[in-house]
Amino acid sequence: MRLLVIEDDRTIASFLVKGLQEAGFAVDHAEDGRTGLRLALTEPYDAAVVDVMLPGMDGLSVIEELRRQKVRTPVLILSARQSVDDRVRGLQAGGDDYLVKPFAFSELLARVQALIRRSTGETQPTRLVVRDVSLDLVSRRVERAGTVIDLRPREFALLEYLMRNAGRVVSKTMIMEHVWNYSFDPRTNVVDVLVFRLREKIDRGFEPKLIQTVRGIGYVLK
Amino acid sequence: MTSGDDQGGSAAAHAASPYTFGFRLAAWYALIFVASSLLLIGLTYLLLASSLRQRDHEIIQSTLDKYASAYLQDGLNGLSDAIQSDRGAGQHETLFVRAIGANAQAIYFSSPEDWTGFNLSRLDVTPPPGSETWSDVRATRTRDVLEVASVRLPDGVIFQVGKSTRSREDLLGRFRAVMLAAFVSVILIGVTGAALITRPALQPIRDLIDAVRRIMATGRIEARVPARASGDALDELSTLFNRMLDRIESLIAGMRGSLDNVAHDLRTPMMRLRSIAESALQSSDPAVQQEALADCLEESDRVAAMLTTLMDISEAETGTMKLAREQVDLAQLLRETLELYGDLAEEKRQSLTASASPGLSLEADHNRLRQVMANLVDNAIKYTPAGGSIAMEGRAENGDVVLEVRDTGAGIAPADLPRVWERLYRGDASRSERGLGLGLSLVRAIVEAHGGRASVTSEPGKGSTFRLTFPRRERSGAVPPHLSPM
Repeated sequence: MRLLVIEDDRTIASFLVKGLQEAGFAVDHAEDGRTGLRLALTEPYDAAVVDVMLPGMDGLSVIEELRRQKVRTPVLILSARQSVDDRVRGLQAGGDDYLVKPFAFSELLARVQALIRRSTGETQPTRLVVRDVSLDLVSRRVERAGTVIDLRPREFALLEYLMRNAGRVVSKTMIMEHVWNYSFDPRTNVVDVLVFRLREKIDRGFEPKLIQTVRGIGYVLK
Repeated sequence: MTSGDDQGGSAAAHAASPYTFGFRLAAWYALIFVASSLLLIGLTYLLLASSLRQRDHEIIQSTLDKYASAYLQDGLNGLSDAIQSDRGAGQHETLFVRAIGANAQAIYFSSPEDWTGFNLSRLDVTPPPGSETWSDVRATRTRDVLEVASVRLPDGVIFQVGKSTRSREDLLGRFRAVMLAAFVSVILIGVTGAALITRPALQPIRDLIDAVRRIMATGRIEARVPARASGDALDELSTLFNRMLDRIESLIAGMRGSLDNVAHDLRTPMMRLRSIAESALQSSDPAVQQEALADCLEESDRVAAMLTTLMDISEAETGTMKLAREQVDLAQLLRETLELYGDLAEEKRQSLTASASPGLSLEADHNRLRQVMANLVDNAIKYTPAGGSIAMEGRAENGDVVLEVRDTGAGIAPADLPRVWERLYRGDASRSERGLGLGLSLVRAIVEAHGGRASVTSEPGKGSTFRLTFPRRERSGAVPPHLSPM
């Protein structure tokens, strides 16, 4: 999988390139909009991460130009602005997802992977399995080691989200967005409470413990 | 240098313009006033002159008719008698009367003693029989004119009656003198009147210019245009200008205030961040360092969240927050909040309930309202002990939409009550709880940005009620009549 990162801040760029390489991507980096656009137009990337504020040509213009030239590479926009307006403008320019700085790397990784999954049209499974846990999306039945586990709708939604992202850390913000469809962070511990409940049902009395807390970032199921 | 000069030049031109404008206004006023007076005077004069002429002609005509018939009846004697009787009666001034016989000899001639100098030979015309002929004879020395009507009688005698225009000219002359005096005073009145009217009328504009100039010179926006209560358009301009200044002032104050607050508020978490990193560097235990890094992450998330919230608050307070208004169903709003916090309340063994009048809706930004409710309920859950209850309610009241969050928590001390809305204010009871101390400020700012009010009542030890009142808009007539208090 080849990725293009267009970001002018060297610290953030090297942090991104390094992290994405560790996650198994081949990563190209451009420091300004024009270089980035040239690369994106000539090389076949699976996804691009584009900062909005760039020297020379801003990120939104780069994306607009790409779309004008019929390049469909999925793009994740990085921005320091987080108002709904900016988000909408980014998506209107042709971006596929929007991430506000500061962000957790794990969240960026998860979003990039989701973009690639979506663009390659990977078929959605009807059954998720991680270790000895299985979740049937049709019958909404959850089992661990052969024992049926009764989950409430939101616990089910959380487990499904964690299993889809098995092995990847998901942030509380991402959980808020996916489980409650809240696009703002209410600075509340409702996520912790829900995770705690899910743990009580999935991990209590079983080994190993699957849901783990990654301090300062979020949760991971592995 | 040149740009500076240009600016000076244009500033000077601008400075002059209201005065030249005032002068132009006054000049136009005076011009129109004088011109219309002149027209009026001229018309009056023409009317007077023509009616005087008309009257003279009528006199001549009737006298001619009368004398001619007297002559035809009784000959020259009859004519002479008629003239004598008219003079005796003093009916009007003496007229010129002449009768010319068939041999072109005057058979009768009578004229006032005091006038001479008319060349009567010009009167030797032969008018056609029947109707009279008019002719004017100019005096040789004076400007008098003798107007004469001639008629040929059936016996061939030409009969003439004439009248000098002197008395008429005297009258018109006096009239002209009076009118000239009147005209001069009209000009004076016009000019002074123009000055008197335009000067005070332009005062508001001069005040406006003074105010703008003061603001530009000092950079202070406190200057205001003096208010007057005349209620005209210029007055309205002053009022609007003042209101605009008020708004700019509050925006600037709001921005300045939020900048100060952000700078101040960020110091504490930055300090915390720094001290965590510093103590981690001093330790050689990898576990401690790991922990410190996680702390740093959490702290930086807090800083980011704080910035977002502070920006939201200042945007809402200064009126720059963009609200995506739509009809928000309150029952749905409360249900969403209930779904978000149900588990948390259950965890704390609190009862969290929601009730809303069915069909009740509010035109508002849905996401912002969710944020408001989330903040209020989050707060209530934090400060309500286990076993307590939290109730959300939405209802129509006196035409307004009211949202309430009631809890049976610790309550708020009366002294703290007005301060709960302040940024970063945290009562003693809440210091131990985690939070930014911005939630209620954000609630109030968003509610007020929607044109609503946020208020709180509390009884320490028994609980608090947070109440949001939104004025209903015209469009939100979606409420069934039986639910409406009207």
